[in-house]
Amino acid sequence: MKHRVPILLCAASLAAIALPASASSFAGTSVSSATEGSSDSTSSSSGDDKLVIEAREDAAGFVASDGRIRSARLEAALRVLRERDARMREASDMALAKAVLAR
Amino acid sequence: MGWIRVALAALWFGAASAQAAVSFLVETRDLSPAEQRASGRVLEDALKRLPPAFVEKFERPVRVQWRDDLPANKHGQARRWRISIKRSLLADYDAARAAVLHELAHLHDRNTTPRISRDPRFLDLAGWERAVWRPGRRGRNAFSDRSPDAYERASPREYFAVNLEHYLLDAAYRCRRPDMAAYFDQRFGVKPSPAVSCGDELVFVQGGIANSEPLRRLDPRRIAAVDYLLADGNARPMSAFGHSMLRLVVCAPEREPGDDCRGDLQHHLVLSFRAFVDDLQISGWRGLSGGYPSRLFVLPLSQVIDEYTKVELRGLRSIPLELSRPEIAAIARRTAQRHWNYDGRYRFLTNNCAVETLKLLGEAVPRIAARELSAITPVGLLEKLRNEGLTNEQDIPGDADEAIRQGYRFAPADAYFDDMYAVAKSSLRLAPRDAAGWLALAPSRRTEALRQADLRAAAALLVLESAAVRQQEALALDELKRRYLRRATKRDADDLRQARRWLELAERFSRPAAWLDGVAGYGLPQADELHALERRVEADAIALREGGKALKAALRERLSTPRRDMLESAETNLALIGERLRKLAGEEAPDLD
Repeated sequence: MKHRVPILLCAASLAAIALPASASSFAGTSVSSATEGSSDSTSSSSGDDKLVIEAREDAAGFVASDGRIRSARLEAALRVLRERDARMREASDMALAKAVLAR
Repeated sequence: MGWIRVALAALWFGAASAQAAVSFLVETRDLSPAEQRASGRVLEDALKRLPPAFVEKFERPVRVQWRDDLPANKHGQARRWRISIKRSLLADYDAARAAVLHELAHLHDRNTTPRISRDPRFLDLAGWERAVWRPGRRGRNAFSDRSPDAYERASPREYFAVNLEHYLLDAAYRCRRPDMAAYFDQRFGVKPSPAVSCGDELVFVQGGIANSEPLRRLDPRRIAAVDYLLADGNARPMSAFGHSMLRLVVCAPEREPGDDCRGDLQHHLVLSFRAFVDDLQISGWRGLSGGYPSRLFVLPLSQVIDEYTKVELRGLRSIPLELSRPEIAAIARRTAQRHWNYDGRYRFLTNNCAVETLKLLGEAVPRIAARELSAITPVGLLEKLRNEGLTNEQDIPGDADEAIRQGYRFAPADAYFDDMYAVAKSSLRLAPRDAAGWLALAPSRRTEALRQADLRAAAALLVLESAAVRQQEALALDELKRRYLRRATKRDADDLRQARRWLELAERFSRPAAWLDGVAGYGLPQADELHALERRVEADAIALREGGKALKAALRERLSTPRRDMLESAETNLALIGERLRKLAGEEAPDLD
């Protein structure tokens, strides 16, 4: 006989299903190590730097799709780069996305 | 008879309006001259603190008795127009004064129609929550953390009396319980003294071990909008119905609050009610019956985007709510109150995320509470909000790509996997037909292609290799879970203990009041408490981060060899493609630093 699963509402991201070995989340805590090359460097950087690091996969999607896939996080990162550095203001979105990937 | 009339005009902060006079008839028969003097001082002081609109209810003299025969656990009691206070309190000025105000509050409540202690707004603020399946309120008040006096939760009447004491006696009350203070101000026609300043910032402990900023300070005036953030459901039974959250559109420090703040993603916060599960296995029964605590997490938006779109492969929708600026600030304040004081129970059917989110909105915004909405699913709640005109969707672009670009929608990462794979396949000779086939290959069979990718292909493969690592992590976790649920060996038991210890630490981040156990103060923490808190939270944040790393390393050793090899070669691939992409992009990109 099949075990019936009760209907459980929106309890996703329950805390402890994830040991820290996983990319899953617990206690509101994302412990993914799949953010390539950045998990340690994020802890000491400012919010804006962190954003640019976190936007790396978004930038990769943008470059790979030749500009078709643009996420809000990439938009935010591009704006931060332009607001922070006058030289960036003239650069195209594609050039900036590549700059994000080059970091 | 021995009654002495103490008739005093109540003075309220020098208010110019004509004062109603309250008079006390004090029974002095058994009091020594010193006690009579003490009684006079206490009553005079208490009277001076009463607001005029409060005093108006006292149309008859109040008889006061200082008695020795009250029940041991009571400081006083109120009957009709008579209050009795424990006589021994005459030796303790502050306690006597508080007891007098407490009993006068009961008299006032009884002579007000309808009673304040039955006012829906009062009950919302006090924490007697609306029941879900029936009219009326829940019996249990779950705002139990950082209470000034546990007795307040005995009943709404006691809550009113206890809180009135603190409102009248403690200048910091309006900083610690700002919404209840504002409610009393409005009920009693009091203009708050500008002398008391509470500071502009609310303080939250952010969940998450990657956070460089475990204590997050937030000025509610910096919030431009609040969105209803809805995670799509997926096939797993526990998340089939989606998840309800709120998104605070917080502006970058230099930006004037307005529509432009929508783009400041790195400053946005997400309020998410979640069950905190302190074990390795979710029990459906415990979830149904309230065995898990329901906690309000304050999370950076970026983390929430990653958790849902990348780890769980679920999309998010962000629907702006139609709210005024004061209503937005009230939501932030109420969030802080819940964050520090609420210790509820998660119930999958009656106290889940949708119910909690709606309660938070109603407590903060009376016009939402007045609609008496009821919803137990996240999508159901969205429909209700929409039907009531509480959403503001006119700015959401109809075009899906544009909605994604502007952050009204966050697509699940796998929506792009096939596109990414097609890009890579067009320039590299790859055998599998689609992304799923590519990701199903052993990582080592993908490595050669990674070395040959040009810039666009490398970008596409970075996305896919990131997904591959997450997949491998999920599989590794699954293996560990199966094994620990069997608890086969002593070493397993040791690992479990280490994991549990770490979970206990993690739990503190879900119940911030725990850090302040043993520190004086109630409600929202003020400067002194924050000072104590800061060091403790930072120390625990470091311990959590380091402990997580150690546990992760230890558990990795326990994986079966094939599973560990798969995980590690996926990670090697990711590092490889990351480095290659960095190099290729660096050849074309302008120099950023």
